[in-house]
Amino acid sequence: MNTIEEKLWNYIDGICSDEEKKAIDILIAQDEVYRCKYKELLALNQEFSKMELDEPSMAFTYNVMEGIRAEHAQQPLKAGINKRIIKGISGFFIVSIALLLILAISNVHTGSANISVHLPDNLRLPDIKNYLSKPVLEGFLFFDIVLGLFLFDAWLRRKAVSKQV
Amino acid sequence: MQSKLSDIELIEQTLTGNQAAYADLVKRHQRFVFTLALRFAKNREDAEEIAQDCFIKAYRSLSAFQRQSKFSTWLYSIVYTTAMTFLRKKRVDTDSIDDENTYIQLENSSSSHDVNSAENKSRSYYLNQAIAQLMPDDAAIITLFYMGERSLDEIGKTLGIETNTVKVKLFRARQRLKEKLEHNLKHEVKELI
Repeated sequence: MNTIEEKLWNYIDGICSDEEKKAIDILIAQDEVYRCKYKELLALNQEFSKMELDEPSMAFTYNVMEGIRAEHAQQPLKAGINKRIIKGISGFFIVSIALLLILAISNVHTGSANISVHLPDNLRLPDIKNYLSKPVLEGFLFFDIVLGLFLFDAWLRRKAVSKQV
Repeated sequence: MQSKLSDIELIEQTLTGNQAAYADLVKRHQRFVFTLALRFAKNREDAEEIAQDCFIKAYRSLSAFQRQSKFSTWLYSIVYTTAMTFLRKKRVDTDSIDDENTYIQLENSSSSHDVNSAENKSRSYYLNQAIAQLMPDDAAIITLFYMGERSLDEIGKTLGIETNTVKVKLFRARQRLKEKLEHNLKHEVKELI
């Protein structure tokens, strides 16, 4: 069962029902004990409401933002790599492999092995020989070597880190 | 000068990479977050560390904020969990956390003013002193209700408890605060005599 104080706090906070409110209104008007207690709690409530917030140091916001910047700086390279770049590289390789396969299939000497590959009549294969000039192949190989070295370096780093751990 | 944009607008700008928007959000909420942290830590240095940690954590998981409640409610719940973790890390054992008698007055706990100056011997000073003597949970509920102007429902979300439990806890916290206040004032009157 609620005590007088509990009922009065609910009344002051405005969280009691209409019936309870009416009953407390009557009690405050008629009962001296209730009236005194109500005045005491009301004064306390007003006192509590006047409490002021504390102020942090002047550099507070700066320190928070510095903390955030420091965290960004420590972000590992793995998390910093844009996924679109990865997708782009994988797309490039998929297309290259597909083109090489088509080129290989189109150059198969079917006569000696007695294998016949029938490509659809409406399939027009690009004349890849025109595109595969020496500078293009060299560029392609150079890109592959750089990528290979990059992956090899990443693998060595990971190995070194796991050894340290 | 603080931004006039709403919390949600500032969050949206922050998520697009505008860190200045987040700085505005920090400025807007730092006083309350710091005060709430002070209710747990009881000294300004620790409270500032907790408050800064909270804003960094909030920044990290800002994209996870689902906007079903106010940003402040979400932020204060981070303050509560961070402060509790901080207290545990400080190796304050469970008994001492629950024992309100251990929360005796700590000098400079809630005010940077000179405690000996006559001006500070006001109701406000005694009120801050009494709050510093409360258990962290009680002090947090009083702070959220009166200074944060939170509803019982919002306080429940912040502390992760039922609204009815908040109602009971608030009643008990006010009772304890009243007792502390009366005790401190009585003690002061005796000293003056």
